[in-house]
Amino acid sequence: MKLKPGIESLDTDNVNVSHTSPLREFAILLVSAFALLALVYVLLGLLIDRAVDWIDPATEKAVFGQLSSALDDGTPPTNAEASLQDLVNRIQQCLDPGYQVEVDLVAESAPNAFALPGGRMIVTQGLIDQMESENGLAFVLAHELGHFANRDHLRGLGRGVVLAALSSIVLGTDSGLDAVFAPASMAGQARFSRERESDADRVSLGALQCHYQHVSGADAFFRALKTAGYGDESEPAYVHFFASHPDVDSRIASLKRLSREAGYASGRERPLPEALQ
Amino acid sequence: MSQLAIFVVLLALGYGFGRMAESRHYRSIVEREQRHARISTLTLRTLESEPATVRRTQLVSGNVVISVDYFKRVAAGLRGFFGGNVQAYESLVDRARREAVLRLKESCPGAAHILNLRVETSSIYKGRGNGIGSVEVLAYGTAVYFDVE
Ligand SMILES: [Zn+2]
Repeated sequence: MKLKPGIESLDTDNVNVSHTSPLREFAILLVSAFALLALVYVLLGLLIDRAVDWIDPATEKAVFGQLSSALDDGTPPTNAEASLQDLVNRIQQCLDPGYQVEVDLVAESAPNAFALPGGRMIVTQGLIDQMESENGLAFVLAHELGHFANRDHLRGLGRGVVLAALSSIVLGTDSGLDAVFAPASMAGQARFSRERESDADRVSLGALQCHYQHVSGADAFFRALKTAGYGDESEPAYVHFFASHPDVDSRIASLKRLSREAGYASGRERPLPEALQ
Repeated sequence: MSQLAIFVVLLALGYGFGRMAESRHYRSIVEREQRHARISTLTLRTLESEPATVRRTQLVSGNVVISVDYFKRVAAGLRGFFGGNVQAYESLVDRARREAVLRLKESCPGAAHILNLRVETSSIYKGRGNGIGSVEVLAYGTAVYFDVE
């Protein structure tokens, strides 16, 4: 046999590689993945909304009661806590989520409040420190009670679980894709909670009108935050209160609009209870 | 949001550097393949007829490890979700195989043929789980030197 060495194929006629643009392939894959995930997320979200409507407050208390009492610090309530609980009890007469909500005051300097499954509300000392009147505090507490009444705390929990499961099971944690889906899904979550937040605000204003016969001071918390220089979107501790609106100003404006539309009155604000001053 | 920014930057860097390295590598591969075309690489075990006296035979090898870049890895990850042809890795395998054979040839510039050429993938990275991954190719064969014809 006579050997006649040749050379391998050059770039253009190389059959072993594809000649389409890698960026094009990447874009198609990314868009498809996003579309698919968005679809699954929306469907599961709807499913959760249905499931949450099924769980009545008594069932919730039975399921999450254990967890809720595990969070209790066990110490007898301080004067401040008792005073806070008293305020919640009074507002609950106007806005009843279906069970007794228990309040815990935690020594945390970032102003925030949460509604946890099982009827436990967490309020930070930082939030109390920002308050100048009872009405301002009552608005935030009623806002959280509104979340309980609207079952948002369960929806939020459910969606959080779904998101975590979706990104880790479907995409895997080692593909590097979770890095791109995490912020994207966060944006979806924020949009979802924007609606829930403004609904809680609306319910809260109604409770204030019912309890005090006026809604003055409802925006006190946000005005105080503004003076204190908070309200920057990047402040992570205030995510809950800024998820609904990009900045404090538009939140204050939306509260004004809501109370004008509902025809709520204005009046004299009450000072903070002594134990909370 | 910063997470997304980091991701996009890594992706862009991976793409940029990856493309640069790849086109430079291909230029080098094509140029060297032409230069070393005289040495024929065969999968035959023996030559049926020898044109001259065999002076020497020797085992020669060439190996190469080429890392996957970030862009390719993410693209392949997405591909792993939908299935199909992983285009992102094709050029890596192609480059690694040709580079390994070229290195093998460069180790025996005076040889006339490489007999019994074998190309294998080795596996330093296997089982590394979260490791970025790489393509590893080992080429080996028997170099045959003839007395001057
Ligand atoms: Zn809220």
